Amino acid sequence: MSRFVLSRLLQGAVVVFSVVVVVFIITRLVGDPVRVMLPLEATAAQRALFEAQLGLDRPIVEQFIRYVRDVAVFDFGDSLWQRRPVMDIILERAPSTLLLTFSAISLALILAVPLGVLAALKPEGLVDRIVVFVSLIGLSVPQFWLGLLFIVFFALYLGWLPTSGSGGFRYLILPALTLALPAMARILMVVRSTMIDELNTQYVKTCRAKGISSMRIVWVHAMRNAMVPIFTLAGWELIRALSGYTVVVESVFAWPGLGLTAIQAIERQDLILLQAIVFLTAIMVVVLNILFDIVYKLIDPRIDMAAR
Amino acid sequence: MKLTSVCALFLSSFLFVAPATADGITIVLGSEPTTLDPHAADDGGEKAVNDNVFETIMTRDEEGNLQLGLAVEKPTQVDDLTWQIKLRPGLTFHNGEPLDAKAVAFSVMRMIDPELNSEQLSYFSTFAGAEAIDNTTVKLTTSGPDPILPARLYYFMIVPPLASTAEDFAQNPVGSGPYKFVSWDRGNTIKLESNADYWGGAPEIDEVTYRFIEESGTRIAALLANEVDLITNLSPEFMERVPAAASMRGLEHPIVLLNTDAGDTADIRVRQALNLAIDKEALASALFEGQATVEAGQLLGPTYFGFNPDISAYPYDLERAKALIKEAGAEGKEITLVGTSGRWLKDRELVEVVGGFWSAIGLEVDVQIYEFDEYLKRLFDKENRAEAIFVVSGNELLDADRSLSAYYASSGFGASNSYPELEEWITKARTETDTDARTKLYNDAVAFAHEQATHAWLLNINNIWGMSERLEWTPRVDGKMFVNTMSFK
Repeated sequence: MSRFVLSRLLQGAVVVFSVVVVVFIITRLVGDPVRVMLPLEATAAQRALFEAQLGLDRPIVEQFIRYVRDVAVFDFGDSLWQRRPVMDIILERAPSTLLLTFSAISLALILAVPLGVLAALKPEGLVDRIVVFVSLIGLSVPQFWLGLLFIVFFALYLGWLPTSGSGGFRYLILPALTLALPAMARILMVVRSTMIDELNTQYVKTCRAKGISSMRIVWVHAMRNAMVPIFTLAGWELIRALSGYTVVVESVFAWPGLGLTAIQAIERQDLILLQAIVFLTAIMVVVLNILFDIVYKLIDPRIDMAAR
Repeated sequence: MKLTSVCALFLSSFLFVAPATADGITIVLGSEPTTLDPHAADDGGEKAVNDNVFETIMTRDEEGNLQLGLAVEKPTQVDDLTWQIKLRPGLTFHNGEPLDAKAVAFSVMRMIDPELNSEQLSYFSTFAGAEAIDNTTVKLTTSGPDPILPARLYYFMIVPPLASTAEDFAQNPVGSGPYKFVSWDRGNTIKLESNADYWGGAPEIDEVTYRFIEESGTRIAALLANEVDLITNLSPEFMERVPAAASMRGLEHPIVLLNTDAGDTADIRVRQALNLAIDKEALASALFEGQATVEAGQLLGPTYFGFNPDISAYPYDLERAKALIKEAGAEGKEITLVGTSGRWLKDRELVEVVGGFWSAIGLEVDVQIYEFDEYLKRLFDKENRAEAIFVVSGNELLDADRSLSAYYASSGFGASNSYPELEEWITKARTETDTDARTKLYNDAVAFAHEQATHAWLLNINNIWGMSERLEWTPRVDGKMFVNTMSFK
């Protein structure tokens, strides 16, 4: 087990380093922060001065070596746009994003598992059709539009919830729901299909023949086997949300998280901030993946760690 | 019983939506300030907040005419390089520090300190030094003769020497204006409270909360839900939908730079035809729902220094435009029109419609829309210039120098011409301290460029604000949101 974790950590380190290199190259290739940050009317001399002060006039190799050296000790430098340590910005914003994504994925699981099971009990029945229809809607509606719809209905029409911003539980509901819905739909589909498969197996038939209650068959026996794919998907949804989908939802709801910050960093060509966000997101994804692998083993001891 | 009351309490916590408070207002900005140090960034969010916290030596009225701010009289020019500023006596900052000549001199030195590396330097490039003569008199020296100094002072915020050297000044600003800084919850809100001791009189509105919403649909929703009182950058289409809206001529002037040196636009007849082919009235009414005025054939608003009242827009004359194109033998020739998308209000739409007008007179128009940074690369490239480049010039100082130096004078980074006359007049005007002579130089430059059709002049776009029903406020040309000019109905 420890050998497995160690090898995964090493693989993860390679991934993270590659991400660092790629991000560094891409950000240096595509944009010029000085051009974007200073007013259009600034003179060439003012631009040159500004560039020198940001250290962007140094040869690219020198910039890269300095960057890798700094990153190794978790010093990401100062944001070009906000002029304060990037780490401060990230530590300020990350909790909002983590709160949002974990709430959303928990919500997705809480809704998807019972609904999926319910649908699987009578495939093609009325409940199944309704559940499948609703989740197809959740899958097909673009998230930004879904967010705006929720704002219009719950905040404008009903006046129950605030339109946007943060500052307490009420502010979390709409963005979490928006982020949760497509994830819920996907998880629900997997719950439904794996449960249908499981409920058709020989051991379930044997259980029924032995007179075990239907509740017990579903929730204890079948669910245990269905958990691996459900868990795989939930983990994947969590990573997906953390590393991308929050951007849309946070923008729509003015939710002050990392996704919104990433968009702003891109708009303002803040290479330093963007690099740090991507780097830390990469680390988060790698760590979460390793954690998931360990949990698989706990769920299903048959999974061979060495082989994975 | 107990359970139901708990449930009720829980539910009511959902149902209670914080209304904009009775004695305070909430203003939504499109972007959060990056810093609240008024000297560091060139940042609209920062300005919107700090305009209420800090003060300037000169200010402007709603129409944009220069007025006295902290000064008791208009700054006087002692000699070519020296200005004298007389301050109001007895002013203090919110923390009790005196706002005297020393504070002003300190602010000037702070702005030009290379250590600060201010993004605003291009507005104050002529500042060379400053010293206090007595308590209320400051001597400000410039690196060259600078007739625009009073206009620069309108943009220059005065900071307290002690507080501004504190480590946390950018998070905890101390000014002298009608509002005092209270708190900044990053990502969420900035709060100000009224300064009862303000020399200009205590403001009517006690508290101001700023929120930051980039997404325009969400901004409008927040206004419709009565969560906020004022939102910026409302799209003209939504003016009818919000409780109240106000608009005012803004500082942004979209324009097309025409290449007078190369390509088919080197022919003056083609350039004139390009101007005649654009139906400016239609642009204003169709694209901006009437929330724009036709530019008077120059890159300046009527209250800017240097505005030439004798020049007016090229009329819309399709027949003459076609005739000129034919005369120049340019029928079917290709014109490249470069623009960007999402940077300025309806930038892409404007470029596409202008391209359409040009196609209508028999030209092949190649409209190229680039992402902003790619677009800037092309705007700044003086070697390979497209025949036509779209740009929006913002003129925060309301003085001809900035816009004309950039887009008219051939040395300007965005100029597409090489007329020595323009270069000479504009360079001379930059240091001409006699007001009449300076006015004449700009008037000449504007008239010459108009005659040569060096640009295709388009519109002056209005700024539009959405407001709650209870708010009473008249917007200004410079777009500043001074909360002490707002009140409740």
